[in-house]
Amino acid sequence: MDLSQYAELFLAESREHLSACNQLLLEWERHPAAPEPVGGIFRAVHTVKGMAATMGYARVADLAHRMENLLDHLRRGAAGRRAGDDVLQLLFRATDALEKAIQVSAAGREQDADVVGIVAELDRAVQRFAPDTAPRHAPPSPPSPPSPPPEVSAPVVGPGRRVRVTLRPEAPLKGPRALIVLKRAAGLGTVSQVQPQPAALEAEDFEGQFSFWLAGPAPADLVVATLAAAGDVEEVRVDDDAAPVARAETGAPLESGKARHIRVDLRRLDALMDQIGELVTARGRLNQLAAERRDPMIDDLAIQISRLSADLQAEIIQARMTPVWQVFDRFPRLVRDLARDLGKPVAFRVEGKEIELDRAILDELGDPLVHLLRNAVDHGLETPADRRRAGKKPEGEIVLAAVRERASVAISIADDGRGIDRARILAKAQAEGLLDAHVETLSDDQLLRVLARPGFSTAAAVTSVSGRGVGIDVAMTKIRALGGTIDIRTEVGKGTTFVLRLPVTLAIVRALIAAVGRERYALPLTYVAETVEFGVVPITTVEGREAMVLRDRVVPLVHLRQLLGVNGDQPPARRPVIVIEMGERRTGLIVDGMLGQQEIVVKAFDAPRGTLPVFSGATIMGDGVPALILDAGGLL
Amino acid sequence: MSHSVLVCDDAIFMRTMISDILAQAGFEVVGEAETGVQAVDKYKQLKPDLVTMDIVMPDMGGIDAVREITKFDPDAKILMCSAMGQQALVVEAIQAGAKDFVVKPFQPSRVLEAVQRVLG
Repeated sequence: MDLSQYAELFLAESREHLSACNQLLLEWERHPAAPEPVGGIFRAVHTVKGMAATMGYARVADLAHRMENLLDHLRRGAAGRRAGDDVLQLLFRATDALEKAIQVSAAGREQDADVVGIVAELDRAVQRFAPDTAPRHAPPSPPSPPSPPPEVSAPVVGPGRRVRVTLRPEAPLKGPRALIVLKRAAGLGTVSQVQPQPAALEAEDFEGQFSFWLAGPAPADLVVATLAAAGDVEEVRVDDDAAPVARAETGAPLESGKARHIRVDLRRLDALMDQIGELVTARGRLNQLAAERRDPMIDDLAIQISRLSADLQAEIIQARMTPVWQVFDRFPRLVRDLARDLGKPVAFRVEGKEIELDRAILDELGDPLVHLLRNAVDHGLETPADRRRAGKKPEGEIVLAAVRERASVAISIADDGRGIDRARILAKAQAEGLLDAHVETLSDDQLLRVLARPGFSTAAAVTSVSGRGVGIDVAMTKIRALGGTIDIRTEVGKGTTFVLRLPVTLAIVRALIAAVGRERYALPLTYVAETVEFGVVPITTVEGREAMVLRDRVVPLVHLRQLLGVNGDQPPARRPVIVIEMGERRTGLIVDGMLGQQEIVVKAFDAPRGTLPVFSGATIMGDGVPALILDAGGLL
Repeated sequence: MSHSVLVCDDAIFMRTMISDILAQAGFEVVGEAETGVQAVDKYKQLKPDLVTMDIVMPDMGGIDAVREITKFDPDAKILMCSAMGQQALVVEAIQAGAKDFVVKPFQPSRVLEAVQRVLG
């Protein structure tokens, strides 16, 4: 059978189990006497072992097996001992090694899986726990002295015959197999005088041959046929008469039936999404055509197709939704390791694990979150001594939370640490020439922009964890590329919170279509706060920039015509201003006209060098003409 | 008529593989369970012709599930799915009423042989 088709499923499920292992190890570390974690870890490792063996990944299976041995001792509370720190650390390392071995094996490079060192460590640990017990993977102990002859006192029930059974040499688990043969025999008559003793059979302490006394009327050929069909039986002899043995060959496949479950390759889902995208585009064209023709029959059809494709689209988007825990679950381990390395005790909490995001977005979210979590542990939190001096409890707190907002998901990383010292950042930014000397205070926005400058770091010492300044700019670039935003809130002495806002899905968004010159541009509605008419609200100048005053708030203005370098024909007299909003920031975009809202299919867009950084992608309009999608983040 | 099967294993991977092997041989997989408790519930509800049962599962292991199922239906046909090194547990399962066992890693032919033996 072709196993490669199961490789992805194997990988995905193994990751879940490894993630569970890490979670449980953390729990165990916190509550060393609790009985639950070790049982859960044992089950997870055991499951991985079975799957790996089935896939033929011998090294993964071997490592999992050794872990299982150790866990089994711990689970049985060997000598009433609870897990010491050294054992826990070993299990953490073994879990990491298992993850690596799984990854390279699933990638087809099993020979690169190096498990020798960790396997030896695990075995040494097992021996420490059970010095007098051979590890379970050791070859079976040599046969014990021959079983005593049948006890004379053992009742021989009625007339009967001695039956001798030989199991196939390659049969796995000969003990249980012998038990099945005996159970079958018991259905034919009364079984007694089993040799070797049943206890030895069950312990596999025999060579695959056993015999028993069978009393009852069943004819010899029936006995042979019944017992030979017990599986893995090589030979059955009754009363020393060599009876022929028919090997039970069964299992001829019947006609193929219908499975009730199907599993879909994720790439299929992506392809389906692309197709739906094309359908949505075609639907747009049909709607336009229907509007031009004014034919009620085309109209009806267009409406029907609109509804059907909208339903289809909703179904597919739903199928792509993935709960955030699939990414979040590895963070408790990450934070723990960091906290340990840096000597800062951290209470880490995760909230909103069940919130769902498009898988494509979620897959990209791991890296930025790792950067921000590292920052929080390394820079956000003070040392325990500093915390005590500041009157805080020595253990720092970090909360990672996901919340569903209207059309987006907000993910926050909050620490209760020292907060960011604005004055210090301002001084450094001014010294580096990033800000004018006359700026006196930094707003949250300015602060974030300074922090996100590539290479800007205020970390006194560049640690291996963070401090090279790559944290926030990497996170920011990634989040922006996903059509999201980052905000920061910080207060000295209280802590720092980063909030990432991400669209729920990437593939299809509702957008406002604006005209500038002869081109159309799409602006995702997520970031559109409102539209007003240019010139109706008062215009002013702030710091040399044109701005308008909208309900007592100053909103800077951007003329898209100028920004995009549109010359020639005059702009229309009446022009709309689209107010875009991201967190606290607002900007008004002056465009030539508005062409309405519609759903657009977002296509990746490779910007040529020198393109303004204000586009996040492209789309095909209903008439087949491409349009660029404006990036709200780049315009603010 | 094809036989109905309930597949019990805590790993989707294993359930998928067993289901595929059985479906390709013409069996109808009518249900899947990922814990012992689910296995017992689904057995009572679906009354399948055959059950494949993993030994190590969360929330009531496979052996206790075998006990519960045979208490409910003494004729239940249960095939244990075991890993190497679990002979003691397999013995326990057979004493609890399981009819046969297969050992991971599964070979389809061996699984089907065992299934045929159990269905007799």
